[in-house]
Amino acid sequence: MKKYSKNQALIKGCRQLLVCAALSVLINILPSHVFAQADSAKTTADTTVAATEPSLLSPSLELLSIQKADSSVDLKVALKTKFKGSTIKLPLLKVTFYQVADTVKKEMGFIITDLNGKGVFNCKANQLLVDKDGKVHFKAMFAGNKSMEATDGEVTAKRARIDITPIKEDSVTSVKVKLIDVGTGKEAGVSNIVVGIFVKRQFFPMKLGEVTTDTTGEGTLEIPKGLPGDANGNITLIAKIDENETYGNLESSTSQNWGVAVSDVNSVMPRALWSAHPPLWMVITFVILVATVWGHYFVIVFELLRLRKEEPHEPNNPINV
Amino acid sequence: MELNKYQQEAFDKQRPVIENFGKKTWAWTIFFMAWILLGGYALYLQITKGHGITGMRDNVVWGLYIANFIFFIGISYAGAVISGILHILKVEWRKPIIRIAEMITVIATIIGPVYILLCVGRLDRLHHLFIYPRLQSPITWDVLAISTYFTGSVIFLYLALIKDFAIYRDAKLNIPKWKQKLYKILAIGYRGTASQNRHIRISTNLMAIMIVPLAIIVHSVLSWIFGMTLRPGWHSTIFGPYFVLAAIYSGTGVLIMAMWVYRKMYGLQSYLTDKHFIYLGYIMMVLGAGYGYFTFSEYLTGWFASEKWESEVLEKLFNPAKYGWWFLFANVAGILLPIVVVALPKTRKPNLIALVSLFMVIALWVKRYLIIVPTLESPLLPMQDTRIEYVKYTATWVEWALTFGGIATFFLFFTLMSKFVTVIPISEFANKGTTAEQPVLNENEIASA
Repeated sequence: MKKYSKNQALIKGCRQLLVCAALSVLINILPSHVFAQADSAKTTADTTVAATEPSLLSPSLELLSIQKADSSVDLKVALKTKFKGSTIKLPLLKVTFYQVADTVKKEMGFIITDLNGKGVFNCKANQLLVDKDGKVHFKAMFAGNKSMEATDGEVTAKRARIDITPIKEDSVTSVKVKLIDVGTGKEAGVSNIVVGIFVKRQFFPMKLGEVTTDTTGEGTLEIPKGLPGDANGNITLIAKIDENETYGNLESSTSQNWGVAVSDVNSVMPRALWSAHPPLWMVITFVILVATVWGHYFVIVFELLRLRKEEPHEPNNPINV
Repeated sequence: MELNKYQQEAFDKQRPVIENFGKKTWAWTIFFMAWILLGGYALYLQITKGHGITGMRDNVVWGLYIANFIFFIGISYAGAVISGILHILKVEWRKPIIRIAEMITVIATIIGPVYILLCVGRLDRLHHLFIYPRLQSPITWDVLAISTYFTGSVIFLYLALIKDFAIYRDAKLNIPKWKQKLYKILAIGYRGTASQNRHIRISTNLMAIMIVPLAIIVHSVLSWIFGMTLRPGWHSTIFGPYFVLAAIYSGTGVLIMAMWVYRKMYGLQSYLTDKHFIYLGYIMMVLGAGYGYFTFSEYLTGWFASEKWESEVLEKLFNPAKYGWWFLFANVAGILLPIVVVALPKTRKPNLIALVSLFMVIALWVKRYLIIVPTLESPLLPMQDTRIEYVKYTATWVEWALTFGGIATFFLFFTLMSKFVTVIPISEFANKGTTAEQPVLNENEIASA
């Protein structure tokens, strides 16, 4: 009797546990948010902040413009905030871009910051609003959310362009750069500006040297020989002006076959699985495996067919297993 | 009908189950059908509106569907490996459980690959897999391996059923004519002659030998879809055996649960005895320890090397604000709980073993999810457009509906199969009974085992 009641209690306990487990699973899975966040504004940083800090955070927004050779402008933003003494990058937040010219304010679009709190917006040449002084004014704005205040950043730059021209005379290679002011509608060279010449590398551009533009806005730098290039020996040369008071940041690039060909293709053991045809060993292994297994299946089907053939003629006889 | 005493007893016990569908079974069938219909509606929406209504995006391209696929293919191991190995070793106590194990294999192998079809976007190009296969692609290996495995599993199950079909055919069961006709066709003229028995024995032995390596190949190939990609959390040399072990482990758990349900539902306590639960519990415990070892080894090596992206995935798995609690659950319920419950004599009881099996199976499903999603949420290349749905995967109700639809289909197939064939094989007891008077395992056998 005692044993019986013990078992009953155990069964009852198990049932209760099962019900609890089922309920907890249902509670978790039905809203479809088992493993994920639902609100784009709720980043990890937000959640932490909301839980511990009732007051709103004051983020900062850095805005940088880079005028490109195709006359478009890259607008780079970095959104971050200070929290408990350390800087936190703010990912997955919406930043809207505006252009201001005289009395006109035009919204251009938005980006969502990446995991490092950064983002790039490209403004095409035909979208640019240039004021009477030949300048473009950009504004980037973060509208704020439950945890953070709104913030914005502004940048102004006079319209200009860097032309980069590769020159090869005999065995000497060089690039000629020309800084051209295009703000007033007429193109005019700008003198006495330092332009950095870089070569594109795996992570960051490597500086080759600097040139100062002459009265026509031009400058020339010789490119050293033996620079490692891609598999075909191509190198990308970049002319850059950083944080000029009038023109801001400018960038232009050209790709030339002046480098030493460096290939990362593994010639010792090439990646056979990427080839058009499978390697022979794979075909042989495959054929052997498939033929062995399916061959056995056919043998078994054959055996089963014989089973029917060997059925005794007196079908009403009971079986004797 | 010349059945021996024990066969007759087993048949009489299960005869009403085959003859009557019963109100309870109807209720369950309608319940499962309702879930399947909901899944069907979700599928209709997915086909008409596109995959945009799922949580999958450019970055996280796999989610619940692939987790379900691996899960179902994993549990299909129950029949393949357990019944295959026990058959080869001629273990007597396997007899009452092999039918259930083989049913799990076939049903899970039917449902699992369907999730692949739900996951791929262009079903109209599905035949391209066969017209333009790339032998170098693990996806092609997978298609071939699973179709071969499914065929083998069906043959293995059918071979074990032929003798029983002949018994049903000759038993003058009170069933519709179409069912009687179907039994007759499926019995393929088996009358129990020595020659016929030889054919079945040869075929069964062949299949038992083949099904085990086949099952190992299938799950290894499945793991290589992950292991052969240069992604953090996936690119691992132990993924093959890790997946194989996890699959047998989860399959054992589902087998124990299925045994528990059938035992309760059809009153099969004299056939599915406490010893079966304890023995399968031992198997589960050993597999759990092996699985725990692989898990520890996998994450220890990743953590120790601290490679950038590997660390990013590990941080997601260990951080309670991300997947930390789920990872903890997957390891506690999936490794520690089954080992502790089976190791302690006081808790080594059928009900508790079945309960921890349930938790373990859920934990292994979670584990499959954790293998897939956190890795895909850690892209190797920086992303330009990082909208939340691109970075973070959230399963939508459509995916959940199709998941539960698949689970309901699994249960429905089980219910219907148990009404078509006896879950305890009758013909297996030609030489030995399974009743309380002559149990499947006597004390000496238990001691020697």
